[in-house]
Amino acid sequence: MKRILLLTALITLAVATAADARVKTKGRGAAMTYDATTIAPQYQPAFELLITKCVKCHTMERTVVAIQTGRAPITGQIFDRQAIKAYGIKMLRKPNSDMSKQDIREVVILLNYILDENSKK
Amino acid sequence: MSNKLSLLAGIITFCVLHLVVAGTSHAIPAFSRAHKVECTTCHTIYPELNEYGDAFLKNSYVYVGKGSKTAKKPAAAPAPAAATAKETPAGDAPLVKGDGDAGKLSKLKAGAMGASAAPQATAAAPAEAPAAEATETQSEGMVLAGIPEQLPISFTGSINYSAGDRNNASPGGNNVDFSAQSFKLQAGGNFRDKVGFFVTYLAYSQGASNDNTSVTPPNNGTNINEFFMQWRNALGTPVNVKIGRFQPKLGLWKSNNKVSMTYNYIPYSYTVGTLTSGSVFRVDQPQDAIELNSILGKRFFAAAGIVNHKGQNQKDGYGHFSYKFGGADYLGNEPNVDLDKEESVLDFLTVSTGAYGYYGENGVYDNNSIPRNTFYRAGLDAEVLYKIFRLRMLAGYGHDDNVLLNTHPTPWTDVFSKTAAVEAEVTLLVNLIAAGRFEYLQETSDNTPVNPTLNNNRDIYIRRYIATLAYAPLENLKLALEYKYETGPNFRSNSYDPNSINRIGTASATFSF
Repeated sequence: MKRILLLTALITLAVATAADARVKTKGRGAAMTYDATTIAPQYQPAFELLITKCVKCHTMERTVVAIQTGRAPITGQIFDRQAIKAYGIKMLRKPNSDMSKQDIREVVILLNYILDENSKK
Repeated sequence: MSNKLSLLAGIITFCVLHLVVAGTSHAIPAFSRAHKVECTTCHTIYPELNEYGDAFLKNSYVYVGKGSKTAKKPAAAPAPAAATAKETPAGDAPLVKGDGDAGKLSKLKAGAMGASAAPQATAAAPAEAPAAEATETQSEGMVLAGIPEQLPISFTGSINYSAGDRNNASPGGNNVDFSAQSFKLQAGGNFRDKVGFFVTYLAYSQGASNDNTSVTPPNNGTNINEFFMQWRNALGTPVNVKIGRFQPKLGLWKSNNKVSMTYNYIPYSYTVGTLTSGSVFRVDQPQDAIELNSILGKRFFAAAGIVNHKGQNQKDGYGHFSYKFGGADYLGNEPNVDLDKEESVLDFLTVSTGAYGYYGENGVYDNNSIPRNTFYRAGLDAEVLYKIFRLRMLAGYGHDDNVLLNTHPTPWTDVFSKTAAVEAEVTLLVNLIAAGRFEYLQETSDNTPVNPTLNNNRDIYIRRYIATLAYAPLENLKLALEYKYETGPNFRSNSYDPNSINRIGTASATFSF
């Protein structure tokens, strides 16, 4: 009986260790995006902004690849928190970006959150 | 002989093949191909530059951020890719020894690709980064030699249809004109971030046809418009050295940096005197020159240079400085906007100001018996950017002491010129811009008119009102409609009439590939 309990505990531990904190992606190529179900509820409104406003000028793939690799896919620049803020400001100032400062702030917080989640082991 | 022909054929085949291979990349010009970015990274609607395009230009065609010394270090809470990154100090090139160190070679190649001055991440994750991939997939020899993998050439063609009342139509011109206006070749880029280069070759511009009307207008002439290179940060200083033929850095904008199709801003493009014997000097004309320029403190730009005229020992001199308040700086860094604060006008406001001066002489080529014209130009420019609005303001003042190159001063040889232009622009959509411009030129002489029936004895004025609507259905294709209303347009001819009016509508298609 003790052996069974020990085995069960080990299996449970193993499964718990394998649990991934990462925000998952789905789709390929231009259709690549984040799986909304793996994003925390408090960030859902910001994610909605991301997938409706940012895609007016570029695919979600560009954002996903930048976060997953740590490099902006086109320029090759390091994509960290500082870069996320800089890109946010750039998009804020872009004529006809149709994004307010509040929109940008929420998206920047969301991207920082995904960055942090994906850095967890 | 046959060997030489074979070699020539081989070179031509090589070039053509390169151009064909380039077709697999984005079908847009040289800089886009080289840096794999969209036209709108640097342009509003081609060829007008946005502030990142201006930073790219000022940085000798080195892509800001990809290999510039201004690349930011990883932040305190870095991305996974940079979590365990080590940094290589800027300019600290790895030593290369003969015992085959693959790691060092990789770093050297990365440096050759323009990343040497930026912090280098050595963690595993950056190996996935496109920049690193690009380095690995390129030919090692080409990378180390600093030679661009693809020929950095692009082409720009312009086709115009115009209609209206034109009082100064040139021979072959008519009131409704279908015109294959021009076709240009351009090349530009940099060699290992050390030397920038740029070439514009005008392959065709439509000339006048004075023969049978069935004759298609011939080529007006081919010409090297600009052809220069710029040594970046010469000898480790912040000073860039520019040599060759180029538009001396005077005004804030190069001649094609606008959405309107015809006429550069009048303070940059006007000339003084009559067509047959006046000065041909223009502020925006490409000249053979040496220029030193530098970005100081990220927001201040200064340039000074010497110009040589063929057949004239005396050199011209010029200077320029500009300063930018707000917006991205001249190195392409974003302003520090606090996202936690309420939206403010200052978050979106950018003001650029510039001033310039040019002093020189011109005259008849290799003829010292004819007096020369000593002249100067001075100007002030400003640009205000706010969200979708852009306002450009230009003012210029000039003086020529002997426009007609007379041995004994006669009326209309000593000329003062005043110019001004205002252009307002609104970005209606990302690819749709409307612009309206007013510009004004006045040329006056201190000498008393002796024969007021001749234009060269009285003051002249020209006013232009230009409305433009530019649309880019594709980033490399610009369609534009323009309407011009001009008073006194033939100010350089002997039949100058201040009351004559031009009303010209133009439809234009410009494409680049």
